Amino acid sequence: MANKRVQFSHPIIPYLFIAPQMLIIAIFFIWPALQAAYLSFMLEDPWGMSREFVGLENYQYLFNSAEYLYSFGFSIVFSALVAFLSLGTALILAVKANAVLHMQSTYRVLITWVYAIAPAVAGITAYFIFNRHIGVMYDFLNSLGWQFNPEADAVDASALLILVSVWKQIPVNFVFFLAGLQGIPKAVREAAALDCANERRRFWTITFPLLAPTGFFLLVINITYAFFDTFGIIDTLTQGTPGGRTTTLVYKVYQDGFLGADLGLSSAQSVVLMLLVLSLTFVQFRFIERKIHY
Amino acid sequence: MKKISLIDHIILWAGVLFLLLPVWLLFASSTHTVETIVKDGLQLLPGSQGFGAYKIALTEASGFTDVATGARMLLNSAIMGLGFAIGKIIVSMCAAYALVYFRIPFAQLLFWIIFSTLLLPLEVRIVPSYEVVSQLGMLNSYTGLIVPLIASATATFYFQQFYKTIPDELLEAAQLDNAGPFRFFIDILVPLSRTMMAAMFIIMFVVGWNQYLWPLMMTTEESYYTIVMGIKSILSVMREARIPDYSVAFAMVILSMLPPVAVVVIFQRWFIQGLVDSEK
Amino acid sequence: MNKTLKALTLSAGLLSGLASAATEIEWWHAMGGSLGDTVNAMATEFNASQSDYKITPIYKGGYEETITAGISAFRAGEAPAIIQIFDAGAATIINAKGAALSVEDILVDNGYEFDINSYVPGVRYFYADANDKMIGMPFNSSTPVLYYNKAMLADAGVKPPKTWEEFETTAEKLKQKGYVALAQSHTPWIFFENFHSRHDLQMADKDNGFSGLPNKVMYNNKHLKMHLEHVKAWKDAGYYGYYGRVWGDNENAFVKKEVAMWIGSSGSFGGLKTSADFDFGTSYLPYWESINKDAGTTFIGGAALFAMAGHTDKEYEAVAAFFNYLTKPETQYFWHRETGYVPITNAAYNLAKDDGYYAANPDAEVGIKQLSLDEGEWTKGYRLGFYVQTRESIYREMDRIMSGETTVEAALKAIETDANRNLERFARTVK
Repeated sequence: MANKRVQFSHPIIPYLFIAPQMLIIAIFFIWPALQAAYLSFMLEDPWGMSREFVGLENYQYLFNSAEYLYSFGFSIVFSALVAFLSLGTALILAVKANAVLHMQSTYRVLITWVYAIAPAVAGITAYFIFNRHIGVMYDFLNSLGWQFNPEADAVDASALLILVSVWKQIPVNFVFFLAGLQGIPKAVREAAALDCANERRRFWTITFPLLAPTGFFLLVINITYAFFDTFGIIDTLTQGTPGGRTTTLVYKVYQDGFLGADLGLSSAQSVVLMLLVLSLTFVQFRFIERKIHY
Repeated sequence: MKKISLIDHIILWAGVLFLLLPVWLLFASSTHTVETIVKDGLQLLPGSQGFGAYKIALTEASGFTDVATGARMLLNSAIMGLGFAIGKIIVSMCAAYALVYFRIPFAQLLFWIIFSTLLLPLEVRIVPSYEVVSQLGMLNSYTGLIVPLIASATATFYFQQFYKTIPDELLEAAQLDNAGPFRFFIDILVPLSRTMMAAMFIIMFVVGWNQYLWPLMMTTEESYYTIVMGIKSILSVMREARIPDYSVAFAMVILSMLPPVAVVVIFQRWFIQGLVDSEK
Repeated sequence: MNKTLKALTLSAGLLSGLASAATEIEWWHAMGGSLGDTVNAMATEFNASQSDYKITPIYKGGYEETITAGISAFRAGEAPAIIQIFDAGAATIINAKGAALSVEDILVDNGYEFDINSYVPGVRYFYADANDKMIGMPFNSSTPVLYYNKAMLADAGVKPPKTWEEFETTAEKLKQKGYVALAQSHTPWIFFENFHSRHDLQMADKDNGFSGLPNKVMYNNKHLKMHLEHVKAWKDAGYYGYYGRVWGDNENAFVKKEVAMWIGSSGSFGGLKTSADFDFGTSYLPYWESINKDAGTTFIGGAALFAMAGHTDKEYEAVAAFFNYLTKPETQYFWHRETGYVPITNAAYNLAKDDGYYAANPDAEVGIKQLSLDEGEWTKGYRLGFYVQTRESIYREMDRIMSGETTVEAALKAIETDANRNLERFARTVK
């Protein structure tokens, strides 16, 4: 603990300061988390009038369910693709924005503003544009000979979801990559310019390795985003269809727990997700310890 | 060198257009008549209807209860965005202050409890959170909309890191002046944190405004609908084979993104700082 | 906050002797668009007709969203007095002791007459409990019917098909003229549930769930398999257009003249009248002669109104008054005429006949006539637990059959597994 040399010490005041935070955490974080764990061992009727202890049944149910396992796999592939495509696009844009001499701040504004759009709003925007009846992109893709049909074709629906999720995440990645690029000391850049004349080689041998920590950290951010924040996009665009092929784990929690009124099953899924996030965080700590200095 | 630079600009403009065009299409289409949209689809160029659709979207409510106009939903979103941003900044500045500037037993334990909230986003514990809030009778209330979201402690870390960079001499000087903890906090720390607060405010306002799943579950009364979840009703209309008033629907979508986009564009510098600092 | 305020003003009003304030109740419903306008018109009329009660209808989105909202509100102790629950959710609310009160009791307790036999046959027991006591009050009752584009059929020189056998030749002729013959908007309701009622096939054990908690769904049968295999073949042959699971996407295909015929709800009639800019006709749901040459009636679909538990006697008085208003022949006739939903009482049906409505609009009678076809052993209805989720499985598997991702056989097996597991889980929650 690299703490202050000098500190106040007082028996009550610090607790007054920290109390609101702890209270909110206790009521709206710890209590629900414990309740999720508790309910995951229960079978409850939809109206909440009776519940019964069923041991691990909800978990067994989940891991025997082809649909749940599919959504597990889908979430992973989906996150990987979203992260990869969004990081790639943002990296190109950041490198170019860093290279140009003029209009740098204009580009930055024109690229980052999308950050402010809610995922659900991004989803509905895409819904209009790729809609059968009024969507210009629907007509365009079909005129190219791609039988684009996201209502019935799982590949088309997934592609659409990925596209929108990537679109929405570019600004965050762009900001961090640009900050990372601008953090590379001028001396290093000049030396690099002297050493390798080839711009592409310079990028791969000098710039890219220097950006790797940023990239890794962004990878975690992007995976978290693709897992959790894409709910609004899915709910407005595909609602998990067709054939349940665009259902992520978080969407399934919502479907089973809220729409399906099966609280036990949904809670078990919450617990599985908690464990998943915990392991992701563990990995993150193993590889970058810079995040936490306490 | 010049040629390379031209290519750079072309690539950048391609990226800019990729990000801009979808929203532009909706905006341009919102100024057309419904008939044009139904017949010819979305429009690339603005039409003849001006901002008529925006007026309708803002002032006209559907349904029997007549409360959920676009203006009302915007107001709710504003309350949610502001309430969330301000609440979160106050709560986390105080908590961070206690952690950094006081010698308290179990500080480490408190820290880890706070830290654990970062691990489990609301989406993960959404259904039990809903249960808790409903048991507390907080459905359909601004408190229920805002406070549970504050549980995640991103901002606390942010302020904690910042306080640590403040030179110790400040506190020593303050103590020589006999300044107590409250005075030090109000007179020295808060003014010093101003930029930080602004940066955090921008990010949190956008996050609060953009909430979707939580208000979707929390609000059953139309008078509490936020605009981001309110646009879901447009989808219900389309899914039931009714033709929505397209231009009004597009206007609603544009309205729902306007305030947060404006904030991000206008306060670009603070926004970038807030984004970089808060994610770390 | 709001509530306390309301309570305060209310008690203040009572204290100052202004007790004449009407009892207010909420009615959550799933009727959007022009249906919603009609609901509002009825509520307005009811409110204007007397001064003791005031009902406020609130649109909650689709059927699934409405039942979800109702369940959440009930758990939070904030349930509305009246909620509209659709056919698939009937088991969920009827089996839950203490969630809803019986309409029969509410009407009788408040001094209104109630005779279950005054309801048309198909409606009588669909929302009744195991003792034939009516729990939910049938409200928007509909049944799947076939709509057809008159011009397209005339162009191809065909009549609307009565049977699926006939459909195959009809579709070929339409195809030669460049038309896709058919689309439908609700796979579980049309191709699963009503497929069974129309052909008088059993759907689940325990009398389709009416005589006890069932534990076996019988969808995995040779008839349904045959039918779905045909549907897939029709799609591949260009006879059948599949536009995903969303109701509107399929209905729009008909409205936009992409398909010549569409199977939807008899309650779609009112909406189609305004959205379709062409002449369309209505006909019975086709059946397979090879399965049952005397195919009979279909299930009464749609939804019913349930009075939710936890309200005051005064509020139930208002509920009873409103239910009584709703069942009046005039109200029913108005609802029937505006929306296309079938009249639920014999009196209302007779009123429509006497008024000459069907003479002028023969198509409007198709739904109710189909429901008056011969009843069979398995046409009373069904009562299946967690059926909303089972329908999700059906939707999901249909998507996969149509995209060629799975076979009909595997799909039916998957649906059977899911449905049986839903029944089993549900049965254990019923105390």
